[in-house]
Amino acid sequence: MSFETRPPDYRAASAAILRGSPNVRDSVGSATRSFEERRWEALAHVDADRWRDWARDVKTHALLHLDTYLGQAADQLEANGVHVHWAADRSAATSILDEIVERHDVRSAVKAKSMLSEELEVNEHLESRGVEPVETDLGEYIIQLLGEPPSHIVGPAIHKSLEDCRRLFHTRLGTPLDAEPDVLAAAARKALRTRFLLADMGISGANFVAADTGTLALIENEGNIRLSTSVPPVHVAFVGIEKVVPRFEDLAGLLQLTARSATGQPIGLFVSLIQGPRRQDEVDGPEHVHVVFVDNGRTRLLADERGWEALRCVRCGACLNSCPVYRQTGGHAYGWTYSGPIGAILAPGMLGLDGGMPLPHASSLCGACVDACPVRIPIPELLLHWRAKAVDEGMEPLSERFGSSFYANLAERPGAYRAASAGLRLTPWRAASRALPILGDWARERTLPEPSPKSFRTLWREGIE
Amino acid sequence: MSRAEILDRIRAANAGRARPEHPGSFVSGAVAEGADLVRVFRDRFEDVGGESVRVADIASARAWLEAFLEPFESASFGLLVPPELGPRGGTAPSAAKVGVSWAAGAVAETGSIALSSADGRRAQLLPPTHVVLIDAGSIVATLVDGLSRWREGLPSAVGLHSGPSKSADIGQVMVKGVHGPGRLVAVVIGGGDAPE
Repeated sequence: MSFETRPPDYRAASAAILRGSPNVRDSVGSATRSFEERRWEALAHVDADRWRDWARDVKTHALLHLDTYLGQAADQLEANGVHVHWAADRSAATSILDEIVERHDVRSAVKAKSMLSEELEVNEHLESRGVEPVETDLGEYIIQLLGEPPSHIVGPAIHKSLEDCRRLFHTRLGTPLDAEPDVLAAAARKALRTRFLLADMGISGANFVAADTGTLALIENEGNIRLSTSVPPVHVAFVGIEKVVPRFEDLAGLLQLTARSATGQPIGLFVSLIQGPRRQDEVDGPEHVHVVFVDNGRTRLLADERGWEALRCVRCGACLNSCPVYRQTGGHAYGWTYSGPIGAILAPGMLGLDGGMPLPHASSLCGACVDACPVRIPIPELLLHWRAKAVDEGMEPLSERFGSSFYANLAERPGAYRAASAGLRLTPWRAASRALPILGDWARERTLPEPSPKSFRTLWREGIE
Repeated sequence: MSRAEILDRIRAANAGRARPEHPGSFVSGAVAEGADLVRVFRDRFEDVGGESVRVADIASARAWLEAFLEPFESASFGLLVPPELGPRGGTAPSAAKVGVSWAAGAVAETGSIALSSADGRRAQLLPPTHVVLIDAGSIVATLVDGLSRWREGLPSAVGLHSGPSKSADIGQVMVKGVHGPGRLVAVVIGGGDAPE
């Protein structure tokens, strides 16, 4: 399912979720708190500051030398027998996919969880071409059955409760309405097992790509990525260009830090380090491996003088888990593949201000995200950076522009300021406040305080301590 | 857009920026100098639900394996498993109740087993129970050590398996064996101290 809102109407979407699906707040709240606790616990046992500094530095170095490392990665992958493709945007990526589907006569595909494939709307595209893509990650499988987009980078179905899953599986897989989670999981495993064995193609993303050995690194806990990339005769990996890191050994630190930040684990239960298709002396593995390096707005973001730092993101979801704003609604309110704090700083850079605003405003700037980020992306600074750019482009609402300049004028004129303050105390402004610009929105959900009977200046002159 | 065009856009984007050096090798600091790597590996592995045993040598491994496999209807054997421990192939992995693999190595700090595609991937993934035989001498302290060691002669794929398959996607409740093996047993062969 694709996101329909362009640009995102965060206010309307979040209000609709809060009013219409209050259970989402409970489900997302408990899942994110649980992830947060586990992240804290996992990072307390290691030298987290040193690890995070290293990860920030290795990703920064990689991004600032990306042309070199991306070229090297492509050369190595080709030397390993991989077909390497380049896609400027979504339509280029899906055209490449069409060629691959035709070349290998693909009729069915299994999908390992890949946020980039959501970004590129791969499933919709395959369906329109008559190829059936089946999500194999349990969370993705659940939302595919529901026809919904993912709500979180790591746990796509965290907005769904156990009850929701019981009802869904009862309807679609015939499990009892009171089935325990292990029974539901066993039903999903059984249904998907046949798909793995019969699929013509497996589709994945990649968490990292090591340039010197031409290695795709993928992390998971279920084993569906290992299966999707090992059993079908063709494997296609969609990889964002920013995923490339210089050295094979660099994967060690990044895999461990990402796992601890995402779910509090020392490492994902299954890590795939893929060099290429099966070798002549091997008994299994795909005969063909295709890697599609995708731009789709990443070079645009890289060119932004400050925004580029967001490309360090390792997709751990820690910022989502720590965000008091994200926690209220889950990801659907953001109207894009990437939500929460990282979504808000990727969108304006990758989609342009038109496509990204007002997401940078979906924040109280509390800073919990930058404390959580394993690669030290300065998220609050970047939120302000994009907000400022939007103002420079004249994109803020008229009422805000008017309100800001009105206040600025007032603040520079002491006489006028005093008069306005006196007026505030005399007029019944609380009743009229809903009509005011800026304050009006705020006043709709809150009772405004009474103004003090004397102004601070008066009290000061009278000698308050 | 071609490779050249994308690389040009990257170069243009980075024009004029300072270019910091690579920070050097990652050092986790997680395993103490001189630690008993077999013990550390087994502890971390068992923390996440893996089962482990230690046997003295190949002969003891053979005896242990025969006893373990006895109740299973069918077993699939990886290609790298020494011939004295089991037949080549055995039952097809998609039908077998247990898969037996020979590890390329293991990592103590993360409790991870390295499995080569040369051993055969399906037997490592499809059967619900997976037994992996590990030479104690192939256990390294850290993941960085492991990657440094294995980078020469990499097969088409290396899998790092660090415990039985799990998911908490259904109402945040943990379940095992969702796609990969729900039961993972590590048999460490050798390594000094008296075996259990």
